[in-house]
Amino acid sequence: MDIDIKGIVVICGNYGSGKTETAVNLAAARKKDGIDVKIADLDLVNPYFRTREARVYLEDIGIEVVLPDKKYMHADLPILTPAVAGIIQQPSELTILDAGGDDAGVTVLAALEDHLSKKEVHMLQVINLFRPFTENVQGCIKIKEEIESSSKMKITGLVSNANLIDETIPEHIYKGYNLLKDISCETGLKIEFITAVSHLIPQLEMDRFTCPILEINRRLNPPWKRV
Amino acid sequence: MAKVLMKGNEAIGEAAIRAGCKNYFAYPITPQSEVAEYLAKRMPEVDGVFLQGESEVAVGYMIFGASACGERVMTTSSSPGVSLMGEAISYISAAQCPAVFVNIMRGGPGLGGILPSQGDYFQATKGGGHGDYHLLVLAPDGVQEAVEMTMKAFGLAEKYRGPVMILGDGLIGQMMEPVEFPDDLMTEPSNKDDWATSGMDTRKSDKRNLVRSLFLDPKELNDNNLALKAKYEQMKKEEVLYEGYNTDTDYKVLIVSYGTMSRVCKTSIDMMKQDGIEVGLLRPKSLFPFPEDAVFKASTKESCQSVISIEMSMGQMVEDVERCVKGQRKVDFYGECGGDIPTPEKIIEIIKGLL
Repeated sequence: MDIDIKGIVVICGNYGSGKTETAVNLAAARKKDGIDVKIADLDLVNPYFRTREARVYLEDIGIEVVLPDKKYMHADLPILTPAVAGIIQQPSELTILDAGGDDAGVTVLAALEDHLSKKEVHMLQVINLFRPFTENVQGCIKIKEEIESSSKMKITGLVSNANLIDETIPEHIYKGYNLLKDISCETGLKIEFITAVSHLIPQLEMDRFTCPILEINRRLNPPWKRV
Repeated sequence: MAKVLMKGNEAIGEAAIRAGCKNYFAYPITPQSEVAEYLAKRMPEVDGVFLQGESEVAVGYMIFGASACGERVMTTSSSPGVSLMGEAISYISAAQCPAVFVNIMRGGPGLGGILPSQGDYFQATKGGGHGDYHLLVLAPDGVQEAVEMTMKAFGLAEKYRGPVMILGDGLIGQMMEPVEFPDDLMTEPSNKDDWATSGMDTRKSDKRNLVRSLFLDPKELNDNNLALKAKYEQMKKEEVLYEGYNTDTDYKVLIVSYGTMSRVCKTSIDMMKQDGIEVGLLRPKSLFPFPEDAVFKASTKESCQSVISIEMSMGQMVEDVERCVKGQRKVDFYGECGGDIPTPEKIIEIIKGLL
């Protein structure tokens, strides 16, 4: 089963759920499928580990990356470049907007409401059940409602990004998928896809899933990690 | 409890709760604001209090007040914010009240930048404010250790009746790692009847407690300083913590490094090992008390030709390393402090230059 998502895709979710790693890998996977991809970093709340740190990799594989001006790369300021409105008005086949965490991180979307309201937008909530506050259905729905209220947009799909970084095992991925099934039952939301780090994929029992899997190659690593 | 994935900042917040801390006062500053964000959600769940002060100056005295009342209390900040708390930290030290301070260091001096740094080593280990005092300073190298040290800090603060500092850099606060918490919660300070101004009706003894940092009688002031000095001597005997890495080999170079920087050094050591080059690492986990004997022993091992202190600063801990090596080996230094963390490849280049 392949991921065939197109159009404007907003990646949101609670703080530290793995939105950027998901957004960057989704962009790369869809580019590999041969479609045109643009990605914008809308994370105005997080000081480290943002899309901008994967910029060189993404540009190398031909993805247009929309970021604040280079001279503001390390500014502790919420800078929204006007180019973001531009790529919403003239989207490519897939346009990914990587939002910041929690309700605070998606407030910026409300500022883009004029542009977004005229388009069909997939708004995906990324969930890692090993993160605080999203270990159960109630926690995830609470975050969903906070994000919707702050962004003035509706979440349309779910993504499980269940992981403990290097300590992830298949059981964790099954657990994340099962949580998504429960949330889906409760809310009626579609499970868009789940993620798994590339070396774990051969170990997964695929018949457990009825949704596609996004392969993750980590792009946001601490400076001592060498592959 | 099963493992969860947490940012260092969030994990420090949860560790405080697990340590029975119900008072957290802070003022937001990058890169530690997630502690406040996390505890704003969590403190009400345990009937605790998070209060944002109007500045770090105010926060410092809120900590002093709560501590004097015998409450477990913590604040977190980053470099410029800790400077503003300096006066209160000095007062709390003089008044011998327990409190936990966390500094998630960013670049300096001045407003500096928001990226990681280890530029506050002097400030943390040599006092930071005015007068003759030290903080007990612990420096974690990852999220799990940040949890363990934060929990331990409350007990140490009460044992020594003084401020304990957790000194992390921005990366320790911002990165995520799997982490585990102990199930048992710690209880309130057991020795507080000896010093806290907690009200006579809750007290088991009739002893009247007075919290002060003003001693106009020269003998009284001298006695208070001698009491502090005795505590620092006891810390040097009982609280030294360090880790040796690859130190069971015949290394030619010994690196001394702590926190995030030591993680990079470990990768460099592993990479050099593959090329047949043995390098040892001594990582101080307590910065005050500094592992003086361990540094001396590791640096004077027969195979060891030179010692290098590697820091995200312009050369601070190196002064303690030189002091401990006592002229027995050449002590070099390498550091960067703009916010870009030196890569393992850069460290290898520096080490090869020493061989």
